[in-house]
Amino acid sequence: MTSVLLKGIEKRFGSVEVIRGVDLSIDEGEFVVFVGPSGCGKSTLLRLISGLEHISDGELKIGDRVVNEVQPSQRGVAMVFQSYALYPHLTVKENMGFGLKVRKVPAQERQRRVNEAAATLKLEPLLDRYPRELSGGQRQRVAIGRAIVGNPDVFLFDEPLSNLDAELRVHMRSEIAALHKRLSTTMIYVTHDQIEAMTLADKIVVLRDGRIEQVGSPRELYERPSNVFVAQFIGSPKMNILPAADAPLLCAGLAAPQSAETLGIRPEHLTVVEPRDGVLRGTVSLCEYTGAVTLLHVLLPDNRICLVLHDEGEVPAVGGEIGLSAEASNIHFFDGQAQAIRALPH
Amino acid sequence: MTDSIHITRRGGQKSRLTLKAREMMEAWLFVSPTVIGFIIFFLGPLLAVAYYSLTEWNLLTQQATFVGLANFENALLENPDFWHVVRNSVIFALGLVPLNMALALTLALALSRPFRGVVFFRTVFFAPVVTSAIAWAIVWKFMLQGEGGFINQVLALVGISGPNWLREPNWAMAAVIITRVIKMVGLNMILYIAALQAIPRDYEEAARLEGASRRQIFSMITWPLLAPATLVIMVITTIGSFKVFDHIYQMTGGGPENGTLVLAFYIYQQGFKFFNVGYASTLAMIMFAIVMVLTLVQVALRRKGME
Repeated sequence: MTSVLLKGIEKRFGSVEVIRGVDLSIDEGEFVVFVGPSGCGKSTLLRLISGLEHISDGELKIGDRVVNEVQPSQRGVAMVFQSYALYPHLTVKENMGFGLKVRKVPAQERQRRVNEAAATLKLEPLLDRYPRELSGGQRQRVAIGRAIVGNPDVFLFDEPLSNLDAELRVHMRSEIAALHKRLSTTMIYVTHDQIEAMTLADKIVVLRDGRIEQVGSPRELYERPSNVFVAQFIGSPKMNILPAADAPLLCAGLAAPQSAETLGIRPEHLTVVEPRDGVLRGTVSLCEYTGAVTLLHVLLPDNRICLVLHDEGEVPAVGGEIGLSAEASNIHFFDGQAQAIRALPH
Repeated sequence: MTDSIHITRRGGQKSRLTLKAREMMEAWLFVSPTVIGFIIFFLGPLLAVAYYSLTEWNLLTQQATFVGLANFENALLENPDFWHVVRNSVIFALGLVPLNMALALTLALALSRPFRGVVFFRTVFFAPVVTSAIAWAIVWKFMLQGEGGFINQVLALVGISGPNWLREPNWAMAAVIITRVIKMVGLNMILYIAALQAIPRDYEEAARLEGASRRQIFSMITWPLLAPATLVIMVITTIGSFKVFDHIYQMTGGGPENGTLVLAFYIYQQGFKFFNVGYASTLAMIMFAIVMVLTLVQVALRRKGME
């Protein structure tokens, strides 16, 4: 088990700054997920750790070693690519043993380690097949198997499930979680899918424009987002952002802090009430029935749309007026710079 | 139920043709220019050559006499010139194909990744491909002259006395091969660049992470993945080398001492210098057979590779 430490990491492609000073500490055996919108630099950061890209500035430590100038193969990392990158002209067995072969590991030892990894991932019946003869999920498992065989200190996953269908993704997600539990190896995982991030991670790193917006456990990020970006990025449907002045309408007696400009309330934390005076009122403009819950689009008097997850009682009619309320503990306040105001007045 | 669909046209009358038949007619209409061109300019002449190969026809007499397989017997069993010419063609191919492919692959490996000036270098190496073959041969003919030729002048600077390249039997074949390689290498370079760029970068990166050296990445990943492209390039280059004419015509005229007399040029000589059209047609059919066999080998190898 190995820790990873990033100190002031920067990456520039010519004059374009892609990673702008990232500081991050990843503990031994931790499962860390980099998440963020397209182009935020999460894959680049992973490639910097792997050594496939050179670091422009800063210091990267894997274990006790500074590895800025260390070859990718000497860093003790293994990577599972989004495309799987299985060599099409080699069988599963040859793919998995490739790294050992180029490192001149004796054939017998190679065979033993490939068989061991194959047993872990239930790949034994597939060892003599070519990648083209495998399904998406099987290819994914072979890619993971190839990474395991090298016995790395750190696993790197670059959006490994994005090519799979929804059902298989859920299945593979649980396999990766089980693998982490079994191996207890440090894993760094890149995804743009927040459900993947929430379900797999010990620690989530939210990135935007090459900077870290927040680091924390899934619960921390959900319950205590440090700014509007994180608040809206984590959670689905995304958090509603309303004027801070609406606070007393949502929750009687609640006063917004003086510096607050906006408030955030998640759709699942809003309750539909009678549209009486003193509550936040709006008109239902759309109802999206999804089975367990109904997503209401509520048009507020200031022409904003507020999303509400309605899961019990009668679904309000489209065009009807409703009132909305929330518990004070679920309301987040943000200042003029969109930063969370931590000292909540409740 | 019948599967014929009666289509009501704008005028209200019904078409008696089924939809499938109408679509077939339209399809034939669209491909007809190509099909007609193919029949007139390819299939027709091919059949004519096949027929003439069975005749004795001197262009000056305007009379073709059917002689059966006599011309084939003559070429394959009696005429020693034929096998000398085939030998020359094989030597030309064996010299040109490996040299061309090795150089093309080396250039492609150097020029497949983007760097400043890459387009310039690609253009430089591809430009001879689109240059007139005759102009190219004339320029090289001057450069390879024994006395006063540019190549020998350069060699003289380092104290080497160069031969009369195109007049000495030992050197003429080497000279035509090398100048032909330089002219055509750009085409194979482009094919190899396309093949290299089609190999996902992830393979190389995965191999790098697993500890493979550049040499190992090339031998264990890149080269096997280039196999389909290599096969195609090898066969089209071999076929091209058997068909070479203009280059030989301009640079050596088949000489010296028939040392560069290759099949395509020999056919030209027989047909248009000695007017033996029947015999020239026979030679053309034999060359066609050789090229056809090479093409079939390519198809078979590609199929095997895909299994």
